[in-house]
Amino acid sequence: MKVFVTGMGALTSLGNDVETFFGALKRGESGVKTYPEWRQYKGLHSYLGAPVPEYDVMKIPRQVRRSMSRMSEMASLATYQALAHADLQPGEKLNSPRVLIIMGSTSGSPFTFEQYFKKLIERGGPEGQLSTSFFKVMNHSVAANVAASIDFNGALLAPSCACATSTQAMIVGWELIKAGLYDIVITGGADELHYMSTSIFDIVMAASRGYNDNPTESPRPFDDKRDGLVVSEGAGVLILESEKSVKARNARPLAEMKGGAYLCDGTHMSQSSAETMTKVMHEGLTRAGLTASDVDYVNAHATGTIHGDVEEAKAISKVFGEGMATSSLKGHLGHSLAACGAIEAIASIKMMEEGVLIPTRNLTTVAADCGPLRHIKEVTPAKVQTVLSNNFAFGGMNTCLLLSALN
Amino acid sequence: MSLIELAPEVIAQVNQLMMSGFEIPAEKLLPSATLIGDLGLDSLDAVDMLVYIEETMGIKVEGERLATVKTLGDVYQLASESMAASAQNLSPVLDTATQTQASQQL
Repeated sequence: MKVFVTGMGALTSLGNDVETFFGALKRGESGVKTYPEWRQYKGLHSYLGAPVPEYDVMKIPRQVRRSMSRMSEMASLATYQALAHADLQPGEKLNSPRVLIIMGSTSGSPFTFEQYFKKLIERGGPEGQLSTSFFKVMNHSVAANVAASIDFNGALLAPSCACATSTQAMIVGWELIKAGLYDIVITGGADELHYMSTSIFDIVMAASRGYNDNPTESPRPFDDKRDGLVVSEGAGVLILESEKSVKARNARPLAEMKGGAYLCDGTHMSQSSAETMTKVMHEGLTRAGLTASDVDYVNAHATGTIHGDVEEAKAISKVFGEGMATSSLKGHLGHSLAACGAIEAIASIKMMEEGVLIPTRNLTTVAADCGPLRHIKEVTPAKVQTVLSNNFAFGGMNTCLLLSALN
Repeated sequence: MSLIELAPEVIAQVNQLMMSGFEIPAEKLLPSATLIGDLGLDSLDAVDMLVYIEETMGIKVEGERLATVKTLGDVYQLASESMAASAQNLSPVLDTATQTQASQQL
């Protein structure tokens, strides 16, 4: 049973729909901005972020929206786009036991956590808390709110593994369709930009500190002047569908999801390792029924950190040999955490569809220890049949998925 | 509920938070409008409505009183009485459990 992607939706720092953000990628734009107001936070050294442009929340009914933080709003809007793209309408047909929603976020809303605890401490108790706060911070907030936004009453799962969340969600969705349990899976992830997210990386010296006055020059994946990542936000949602369902409703497939793997590192919470990255790519290829020679392009996780980029470059060259076409989209978009896997999968499908490789933005001089790969440094026309997309996360989570163009 | 004279500024403030907090159009804000049927609120909204009233008007509202509130006119009355009580420093501090219990009766 093949699994196809039949719909895509995204809100990103470079635009609030797939065509807009992919157009911005092709033009080499950056979504990164400086947040001067973050200078007030003691101990924070990185003042960069990549916010999603203003969007219209009024598309979501108030009684659903009241329990949403920004991440759930973005996920719901991306879901509306993806369903429309797949020619699926919320309602009776979608409320089938053969349909699953699986999506997540790194945590509940950091904005709401901050507001809740600020008031709790100031007032010495829960006096004055809003009834809807919990629905914004619970671990399955994004999945539950998306379900409510489309009147969905079927199966729901909410995986969470930080920056690999949406990749894992997609792979589990793929597994469950392959297992014959579901025909349609609405999957992806979302996260919202907050200085606390940046501080998590800043504390471990992984956030970019040297480009606060030149925001669009960071992050710099694989570059010898990289100094860390830039936190972004957004939502990416894909509709995965069984071959049987695609045929039954005469749907238009966009790409085939061939497979993927999610393996934990098992040794360290933050230090990624080429060895375990290599292992997950081998496992992903095996589960997809592919070999390294089938892959034309690797969409790297590479966030612009000193250590992570080196380990990933080593792992890619170990799996694919020298010269694999590779790029990272973090230089354009920043790192949207739980959303990045879905957004990068969408961009990868667009690259296959349009026959073009998006380069790594801000990659001027490849660092000596970030090779030997064929680093894509400019928009490059290419026939791309199969993409491997990596995403790695704190907690020692390694994931990769494989997508193929339709012949 | 003992009736006291409704101050126009209280009505204006309650109407304003109904519009900003719950996106209710001005033309629906009639004293006879029921919170559940006419204005589309529910128990979660009721809890938040009390929080908004307390914060925007700087008063304390007895959570138990929520059980008697059915219409927007009742909200005006509750806000007015709470304002008067707060001025005399008579109103007890709300606790969340009481708020929620009362709101579930809406």
